[in-house]
Amino acid sequence: MVAMETEGKVIKCKAAVAWEPGKPLSIEKVEVAPPKAHEVRIKIAASGVCHSDWAYLYDIAKMKPRPFPLVLGHEGAGVVESVGPGVTKVSIGDKVIPLFLPQCGQCERCQSPKTNLCTKNWEKTQQGVLADGTSRITCKNQQVHQFIGISTFSEYTVVPEDNVTKIHPDAPLDRVCLLGCGVSTGYGAAVNTGKVESGSTCAVFGLGAVGLAAVMGCKAAGASRIIAVDINSDKFEIGKTFGATEFVNPKDHSKSIQEVLRELTNGGVDYALECVGDVAVMRAAVEACSPAGGVCVIVGWIEVEELSLAPLDILLGRTLKGTYFGGWKSVEAVPRLVQDYLSRKILLDEFVTHRLALDQINQAFDLIMSGKSIRTVIEM
Amino acid sequence: METEGKVIKCKAAVAWEPGKPLSIEDVEVAPPKAHEVRIKMVASGICHTDWTFLHEVGKTMNPQPFPVVLGHEGAGVVESVGPGVTKMAKGDKVIPLVVPQCGQCERCLSPKTNLCSKNWEKTQQCLLADGTSRITCKNQQVHQFIAISTFSEYTVVPEDNVTKIHPDAPLDRVCLLGCGVSTGYGAAVNTGKVESGSTCAVFGLGAVGLAAVMGCKAAGATRIIAVDINSDKFEIAKTFGATEFANPKDHSKPIQEVLRELTNGGVDYALECVGNVGVMRAAVEACSPAGGVCVMVGWTRMGELTLVSEDILLGKTLKGSYFGGWKSVEAVPKLVQEYLSGKILLDEFVTHRLTLDQINEAFDLMITGKSIRTVIQM
Repeated sequence: MVAMETEGKVIKCKAAVAWEPGKPLSIEKVEVAPPKAHEVRIKIAASGVCHSDWAYLYDIAKMKPRPFPLVLGHEGAGVVESVGPGVTKVSIGDKVIPLFLPQCGQCERCQSPKTNLCTKNWEKTQQGVLADGTSRITCKNQQVHQFIGISTFSEYTVVPEDNVTKIHPDAPLDRVCLLGCGVSTGYGAAVNTGKVESGSTCAVFGLGAVGLAAVMGCKAAGASRIIAVDINSDKFEIGKTFGATEFVNPKDHSKSIQEVLRELTNGGVDYALECVGDVAVMRAAVEACSPAGGVCVIVGWIEVEELSLAPLDILLGRTLKGTYFGGWKSVEAVPRLVQDYLSRKILLDEFVTHRLALDQINQAFDLIMSGKSIRTVIEM
Repeated sequence: METEGKVIKCKAAVAWEPGKPLSIEDVEVAPPKAHEVRIKMVASGICHTDWTFLHEVGKTMNPQPFPVVLGHEGAGVVESVGPGVTKMAKGDKVIPLVVPQCGQCERCLSPKTNLCSKNWEKTQQCLLADGTSRITCKNQQVHQFIAISTFSEYTVVPEDNVTKIHPDAPLDRVCLLGCGVSTGYGAAVNTGKVESGSTCAVFGLGAVGLAAVMGCKAAGATRIIAVDINSDKFEIAKTFGATEFANPKDHSKPIQEVLRELTNGGVDYALECVGNVGVMRAAVEACSPAGGVCVMVGWTRMGELTLVSEDILLGKTLKGSYFGGWKSVEAVPKLVQEYLSGKILLDEFVTHRLTLDQINEAFDLMITGKSIRTVIQM
């Protein structure tokens, strides 16, 4: 083990700080404290930018309140800079992906095959602090919260050991960072949560990174028809790359999209995956499903709004499910997904449409909102 | 039989218009046409759906044609069969079915659904396959509720809507397998796929709910919490396997909160057997986020179900069940066998026995919560 000169010391580095909701991120000098017991400090090499990062900053009416100031970012990859006492699973120099969903391996949830929602530190990380109730990032003498206990929009961050997993040393960090959230979520929604079957007909609503990953998951599962739905027809070409067989733009039809899909499929799809995070689209996705056992998986993240359904749609045989991080048991699954990428079972490069530096991070948000990007990777 | 091929005059309980009591009338039942079976009804249960169709317009089916002979939970004996019927013959004991099973359509061939699509639209309009009914009264066509009409001494149903059962089956009890009991029991074992050792909550302790309790017990659930606003039902729920009881009226907190506290986070399976969207929501919210499953069983077209999206995103599953998910023609005879071998209870559901001309009393008993199942003995 090679000791780094920063080990055990406060690191001064750059981070993109959200001082208050509704304002652009500010590039600041921050101080990152050394890891405490069972924590890992990571030098972040690359980070994707997710719609939910934008939503917590700009769409706060739809999200539960989060404490500010805050360093966002939850889709990153990096190298272990140092570990705190008691950490045995990762070491200095290891390539790792921080995880917004932990896997302690011991709690009731981790022991259950039915859920991936480890309860360890859940309440703390949702409040932007680590297990002891504080964060490791300060700026101008003020504690800065860590988004879901992670904060990948910083050159260095500290996460609980159960929120990080070691990955293959050959993994290109500027691509596998996407497995920290969007790609794993969409892909897992199809193969784990929906349990898409070979020969089935699927519809994926929304062709951002999550939706394209869901398309990829449907293809991997052997679906015969994968209908990609988006109001931006520019996305259909890349949809094809990931496996979509058909495309529908709701704006091209006077009938509701669910009606269009039911007609296209003679009664409804076997699986519908909603990857937008809009309650009206969720309802449409349910109604687009076949009553003969159709399954709708809601994937797009939303916190406050309520979904409304006609009871008969469920009584007559449809199933409604949701997914969080694609249903993966994070610590053990992400390294395998990295392997799947290295062995070309899953695509990652094709998601990356832009590369920017940390000080250009607000441009990444603009690219998301204008629909011009799929994933922008921030290279630290 | 002397009636074969002829119109039969008999008694039936006719609903002339919505909101009015049933009227015992002399009706004429035409002989069965091709692929139809005429049945002498021996006994019929009474379901909440029958009452709802009559008294709560808009809550069950669209459209609601009148006049109609209601009843969809019956058992009887084949009186005659029309051309092409090969699966049963005169004298066979049978149960008419709210869900058909033609065995050939895409739905019947799929393991994922029991909703045979054959004749669906016609039966939902209360007609047989050719778009007419076989019952007339005072020279007027009378519709057949879901193409069945068990509130008549004789009825005619499509052959795919009837199944032959064991000759020893007591018709005044196995009639309940035509709807309520099969629905609740199947909701637990087929739709919910309740697992051994699990914790379940059943909302509503009518026949469907009690059958769901029985299904949870059969599946090996460890805890079965029965929920009803009428505490008088807790005793009979114990008979069917409930281990605990909760009356929402005894708590100031919402019932889902009570259940989450009772179970340290939520139940593994919740079965809503009331048919109320408020209760459906409570049932979802009572489920554990660690893979909890809520099965909607109670039938309603009324209102909209609203859910917190995050509840679903964080891992709950919402399903619905129609006739318990059973492939009707092949499953109901097996359920009869299970009753005959003591695996499932039926007698315990029957709280009252009345005659056809007392049928309005049966509705009163149901609505006042005094009965679980009243059997009309023809």
